[in-house]
Amino acid sequence: MSALEELLAHPGLWRGRGAGLPAAVPTRPSGFAQLDRALRGGWPRGQLTELIGAPFGSGETRMLVPVLAACTRERRRVMLVAPPATPWIPGWRQLGVDPEQVFVIRAASEDDIIWSCEQILRHPETGVLLAWLQGSRSAPLRRLRLAAGAGDACAFLYRPPAVAPQPSPAHLRIRWQADGDRLRLEVIKFTGGPIPAGQPVVIPRDVR
Amino acid sequence: MKTPDDQRGQAPPPQTSVHPKRTGVRALPDARPAPDSGKDDPQLTLLPPAPPEREPETEPASGQSLWLAVHLPHLALDALAQTGSASPGPLILTEDPAQPRVHDANRAARQAGVRPGMALADALAVLNAPIVLEHDPEASRRHLLTLAAVLLQFTDHVCPELRQQRILLEVGRSLRLFRGAGALEARIRDSLRQLGYTPRIGAARTPAAARLLARLRHPARPLDRDALRRTLSPLPLTVLPLPAVDIQALHGIGLERIGDLLRLPRQDLALRYGTRLPELLGRLLGDLPEPLPRFRPPESPAFHLEFDQEVSATGALRFPLKRLLLQLEQTLRAGNHRTQGLELQLLHRGGTTTRLTLERSQPGSRAEEWLELWNIRLSRLELPAPVRGLRLAVPHLLPAGADSDGLFSSRDGSRAESGFLTRLRARLGDDAVLRFAPTLHPLPEGAQEACSPDRFPALPSGGTTPAQRMAGAALWLRPLQPAPPPGPHEWLGRLEGGWWAGDDQRRDYAVTQDPRGRLCWVFRDLRSGQWQLQGLWG
Repeated sequence: MSALEELLAHPGLWRGRGAGLPAAVPTRPSGFAQLDRALRGGWPRGQLTELIGAPFGSGETRMLVPVLAACTRERRRVMLVAPPATPWIPGWRQLGVDPEQVFVIRAASEDDIIWSCEQILRHPETGVLLAWLQGSRSAPLRRLRLAAGAGDACAFLYRPPAVAPQPSPAHLRIRWQADGDRLRLEVIKFTGGPIPAGQPVVIPRDVR
Repeated sequence: MKTPDDQRGQAPPPQTSVHPKRTGVRALPDARPAPDSGKDDPQLTLLPPAPPEREPETEPASGQSLWLAVHLPHLALDALAQTGSASPGPLILTEDPAQPRVHDANRAARQAGVRPGMALADALAVLNAPIVLEHDPEASRRHLLTLAAVLLQFTDHVCPELRQQRILLEVGRSLRLFRGAGALEARIRDSLRQLGYTPRIGAARTPAAARLLARLRHPARPLDRDALRRTLSPLPLTVLPLPAVDIQALHGIGLERIGDLLRLPRQDLALRYGTRLPELLGRLLGDLPEPLPRFRPPESPAFHLEFDQEVSATGALRFPLKRLLLQLEQTLRAGNHRTQGLELQLLHRGGTTTRLTLERSQPGSRAEEWLELWNIRLSRLELPAPVRGLRLAVPHLLPAGADSDGLFSSRDGSRAESGFLTRLRARLGDDAVLRFAPTLHPLPEGAQEACSPDRFPALPSGGTTPAQRMAGAALWLRPLQPAPPPGPHEWLGRLEGGWWAGDDQRRDYAVTQDPRGRLCWVFRDLRSGQWQLQGLWG
């Protein structure tokens, strides 16, 4: 029996249905109390988190700045894979992110992006991965899920809205949308527990 | 007048009936320590010669000279085999297009009776559908020079003899380091075999004798004058590098073996046959010095390989590339160098070239590491045209510091890390992995510079400049583009700068939301009143 449980706890084993995950997934505080409550502690580590929405630049990166800053304070790396624009590092620095730990990976094809993410997730110094995936295929995400399980980085995948109805191996899927001066977050999948239904989480998009 | 050589002639002649054969057991050379090996000592030479077959091997005292002649009779064929496309069928290399002759032939062709020097027509008459290729002397020359650079790892005195496809090495001072002549010879043989060449090696105390023994594949390794004399004496005169007429003349007076010649007084020989013959004998035995130039390796080594058939799949490039990388590794080791970047040129039909470069974050020389990176790079390459050759060049040589960086590295995992970033760069390109360092430039579009991941400048202390803070903490930069006047917006601050450089800029920065919901980072140029989109607030 214990052998079976050990097996089920293996991160490489993916159970299609049911609460197969160990109860406690390590997290990083998101910096927003309401969001931490909804995510049972914060952003999951060693798991994939999908952030689904458009357009780029609506505050969906700024939302993660507290995590990024905390990560570079630990001298772990922030890896940006295929961002749609160039990061303006003085801005990141003003928000407490150490530029020395921020790496930008330029990759054009979907294959290159997935391959790079896999390499990055398996590397022990990676703290946070932000990757912008344009493609709509979810199959390659299985490989990323295994790679994420090999480390303890927070892996955020930005994906276009069209993929929301598709099944995905990600641990957490969130649909985001700009709403006035706020960003509305709606959890559409959360492995290992009920979706905090009904109320979307709303976080401010302040400019300061 | 009697010379020492003449006196020695009175002693019973050495056994002359046995021609040395290649055997599994090495005939051990004589190396009785000579009291004064440089000069003739009549007393010593009158001793009865020891039996030539088996003599105890002793190593020469350090400082005594020992020459190795590395003869590469099949240099051009060996180089062809490295391309990995060698076919089992007969293959011949021709030279002299005006009157084609066989330069060299592979085993299958030799078994059919083809010999180097044969007319091409004769060779074609005995062969069944052979591959005929033209010998490129320039390519052979390059290969020999590459090997000379490789052999510099064993000694500092290397002398390539291009026309004879031979490299001479003075290894007397290297013997202690490599634990003796036998071990050194085996090392040289191994490293050449690893590169795909089959050498014949001769060793003797003079370069002339070493050349002779190499050509004959003679296993003896005579380290002093006596042993040399005993080794050479039973050999027939025909092995001497002399014109056939001279050999005929010597045969005519009843001389058959080198020993017969050595017994004659040299001055009489000079009178009768000119000075060339006694000079040759003097150089063979070491009575006359033979100074040889020292080979200097090129500053930036390059390695070539030409294929006998064109290659149109990148997978087929791996094997020849591995050979080149092994040559590189050994050459770098010989020069005590490492390198951080390599350039590979794929030579196409029609003279076009594809250039690929690879940079690593840590310098190194090991062929396996480089091969892994090149495999990643090549697997993603679409060949624009079939490849007929490779050229591997080292743009910058670095002195080999400690190759043991990893052993004493200060940061844990630095070795794994460098490999990780290097793998990314090998696949995506050298400029695909970046970091951005803030600068003191007042305008946001100049306030950072891209740098490669292994170099990051020390950050200016004091954080961001006041001007940069005026522009706000935006996350994403875009190329400047005119924007329509925004709707409701929030002012960030006024930036003034550049007036000292003749580029006066006064901008009011703001954040605004566009109809699609993006947070845009915009400014109004105070002089023109025009709004510009600088980036995204993110």
